Amino acid sequence: MIPNKQPNLENASPGKKTFVGWFKHKWSNDPLFSILIALIIMVILQTLTLGFDYNSFGEWFQAWTNNWINILRNNAGVGIVALGMTFVIMTGGIDLSVGSTLVITGAFAMYLLDTGAQGILSAVGITGVPAIILTIILVLAFGYMLGALIGVSITKGMVPPFIATLGAMMIFRSVTQHFAQGYNTKVPVEFLQISSFKIGNLMIMPIIYWAIIACILYYVSKRTTFGRQIIAVGSNERAAKLSGVNINKVKLRVYALMGLLVSVAAIIQVSRIGSMDFSNAGRGMEMDAIAAAVVGGTNMLGGRGYILGTVYGMLIIAVMNNLLNLFGVPPFLREAFKGVIVIVAVLLQRKEKTA
Amino acid sequence: MPVESGVFCRSGILILHSLIDSRYHTVSINRKETFRKNFTRMNSLLKSLGDYMKIEMKNIRKSFGSNDVLKDVTLSVQGGEICALLGENGAGKSTLMNILGGVIPMDSGSILIDEKEVDFETPVDSQEAGIAFIHQELNLINDLPIYENMFLGREIKTKKGSLDLKQMYDKTAEIFKQMNVDLDPGRMVRDLDASYKQIVEICRAMMTNASIIIMDEPTTSLTDTEIERVFAMMKTLKENNVGIIFISHKLNEVKEICNRYIVLRDGNLVSVGNVSDVTKKDLASYMVGFDVRTESLRRVAGNEEVGNEILRVEGLTDSRHFRDINFSIRAGEIVGITGLLGDGRSELFQAIFGADHYETGKIFLEGKEVTIKSTSQAIKKGIAYLPRNRKENAILKDMDIIENASVVTWSMFSKRGVIDSSRHRKLFEEQRDSLRIKMGDMTDSITSLSGGNQQKVVLSKWLAANPKVLILDNPTQGVDVGAKEDIYDIILKLADENIAIIVLSSEAQEIIRVCDRALVMYHGVIQGEVRDEMMNEQTIMRLATGGELGEEKGVHQL
Repeated sequence: MIPNKQPNLENASPGKKTFVGWFKHKWSNDPLFSILIALIIMVILQTLTLGFDYNSFGEWFQAWTNNWINILRNNAGVGIVALGMTFVIMTGGIDLSVGSTLVITGAFAMYLLDTGAQGILSAVGITGVPAIILTIILVLAFGYMLGALIGVSITKGMVPPFIATLGAMMIFRSVTQHFAQGYNTKVPVEFLQISSFKIGNLMIMPIIYWAIIACILYYVSKRTTFGRQIIAVGSNERAAKLSGVNINKVKLRVYALMGLLVSVAAIIQVSRIGSMDFSNAGRGMEMDAIAAAVVGGTNMLGGRGYILGTVYGMLIIAVMNNLLNLFGVPPFLREAFKGVIVIVAVLLQRKEKTA
Repeated sequence: MPVESGVFCRSGILILHSLIDSRYHTVSINRKETFRKNFTRMNSLLKSLGDYMKIEMKNIRKSFGSNDVLKDVTLSVQGGEICALLGENGAGKSTLMNILGGVIPMDSGSILIDEKEVDFETPVDSQEAGIAFIHQELNLINDLPIYENMFLGREIKTKKGSLDLKQMYDKTAEIFKQMNVDLDPGRMVRDLDASYKQIVEICRAMMTNASIIIMDEPTTSLTDTEIERVFAMMKTLKENNVGIIFISHKLNEVKEICNRYIVLRDGNLVSVGNVSDVTKKDLASYMVGFDVRTESLRRVAGNEEVGNEILRVEGLTDSRHFRDINFSIRAGEIVGITGLLGDGRSELFQAIFGADHYETGKIFLEGKEVTIKSTSQAIKKGIAYLPRNRKENAILKDMDIIENASVVTWSMFSKRGVIDSSRHRKLFEEQRDSLRIKMGDMTDSITSLSGGNQQKVVLSKWLAANPKVLILDNPTQGVDVGAKEDIYDIILKLADENIAIIVLSSEAQEIIRVCDRALVMYHGVIQGEVRDEMMNEQTIMRLATGGELGEEKGVHQL
């Protein structure tokens, strides 16, 4: 395309018409733009690394898609948790307990479902599909309640979020390990369908859950009173209070929502594998979730945060893991790359702000 | 072992401290060298009672942009006297003292110490010349004992390099003894009450060989007995030939402790003299000037048709901030609440608004008693509160204009939790025109607006909630002249719409121009009510500094 050479007054305003101008405009004005560019670069790199050593385009596409489905499915659980973490950080708080909440809600789900001797629901005579539906409801309620409990200690008890969730992190895992270690469940096959149900030969249910929740939370953050009040609280708590925002209610609901989302992740994980390793499942999950939120442009001091950004952030971390895998980087070194990505992402955002 | 762990803690806190106040960092070496010398010099100073320092400031001018803050001010202060520096807010007191303290440079003029011209480029220059500036916010570290605070930034060390705690303790004890302070140097600063913190600051200033001490409103946060303690200290200093510049709004205190006074008004030196030659009334009129009353915006008397009682408060008390507050306000009235710093008016109305708590007392809205526990309750009941310090209390910096204008009404207008953005937009469009808000797009950041327009946006969020009582705390703070007039117009218009309006302000001018009547507060109590011809700056200033109304006419006691 040859640019219009006639003098054009609209062109006088910087940017938008030429690609470079548009790019510059977006780069400095759209907070998610740099993250998206980073993601696109990573995806291109990953595609190149995967190679084109296939007989046909169809075969290459098949391999590429499968790789992507694997990436997304493996990260769906953390991805969902990271969405909740975004809200928590937006209020100016933090939740370290997510990994342990995952384990305790997972254990609760297994006890409910077990068709063996220790199963709670089968003991009272509820089996089959009703048992599964009831399990889902109870596990979600349990997660919500645990989150609300943390929320109460933060709001009413005035315990700093870091401390409250650090305590919960220790309590939940320790209690679960004590009561459930070595516990082997027989999870009904129907329950496993939650994650492994195939759509057109593709096992993408966890990805769909992630996408649906991301859409809902995106809407919540943009359009609802709750979503905007989260930003108001994180941006200036005193001003929010003096504007009639019930800051304690907002915070409590944010932590409760976090618990609820973790229990969704727990259901996905239990239904994927049929069991859970109580001492290792969810370890480091809080850090991955925080990293995804931070890479996605969420301000650790509260006030600024983007649900879409967190999705990008999660994908960047996931694709990078995949890349390191493809390159054959030793496992112990991978965390270092993750660390670099987090710091670079924040550095980039800083530059943007001062520019 | 305890010593070493002390060093560990100390170094951590030191780093923190040097971050807060980097000047310690840069001069600490210099200071350590000069410390011992200073210390002995101070001792001889205290003992000799001989020579004292004289500071002269000549033809000082300073302007910030087009705003002339100081216009050719000349004054002098010498050791052995306590000199009151008086003036209303914005008269230039703090600018002048900041120049003397080396915090900001002057545009022209000169400073002479003992007839020798000096040049203060940094606070350190000023300190080394013997001037100590004790700010209103004390510069002590709560988590360290007194004796370590005394030596912050110029610690005494042993040959091994660890802190010589014993020597620091002994030297502090020695100074306390000389200054007649009965205080254990080993106590933690956090355990001290405000007056002893003030005293520790003064002793620390003495340790740096200060000959002139500037005290910026040292008594605002002190109780009466604590004030006495600080005054006793000041008298001791005076006897030791130290000069004190005492900035205060409280004329009672000035009469009690000071022997000279300097009054600034609008950047000019208006009066200097001996305190014993003038009355408090004289001082108050020097501060405000005689012809300050500009044209009043109030509606013509007799034309005031006030409606029913909207808000009544009986015996409201919170022992820390306000005591036994009684007043009542009718629809369509504009009532001013004024006083000086520390009068408790903001705390009082934040308590009525549900943002802070109160201990005893009753609040009545339209005749019915209400209990308000949260701000959202207050808003539902029709109370609106525009806070002071817009940046800290009102602006959501991460949000755009329309969101800042609709935060109060989000939950009111929402349907099943979903924000009704079109309604917010429509309402805000109307308000943008009626409040004359100059702005770009509604989705621009709130911080892109000027102070006046930000304030109007904050005001619009309250108007959207349709309040019956509108409390405006310092509504024209940080607002330019044009927007100020706009806000006054808006206040009058709202009163015509039968909203009961309360204006909290420390500017007597503002109260006189806008309000129908005014309550003046002093130290948490309503000192008196003024209206009509009694509502003038002299009377307000007299009440605000703790004076009584007397039996003059036009006085309405509650």
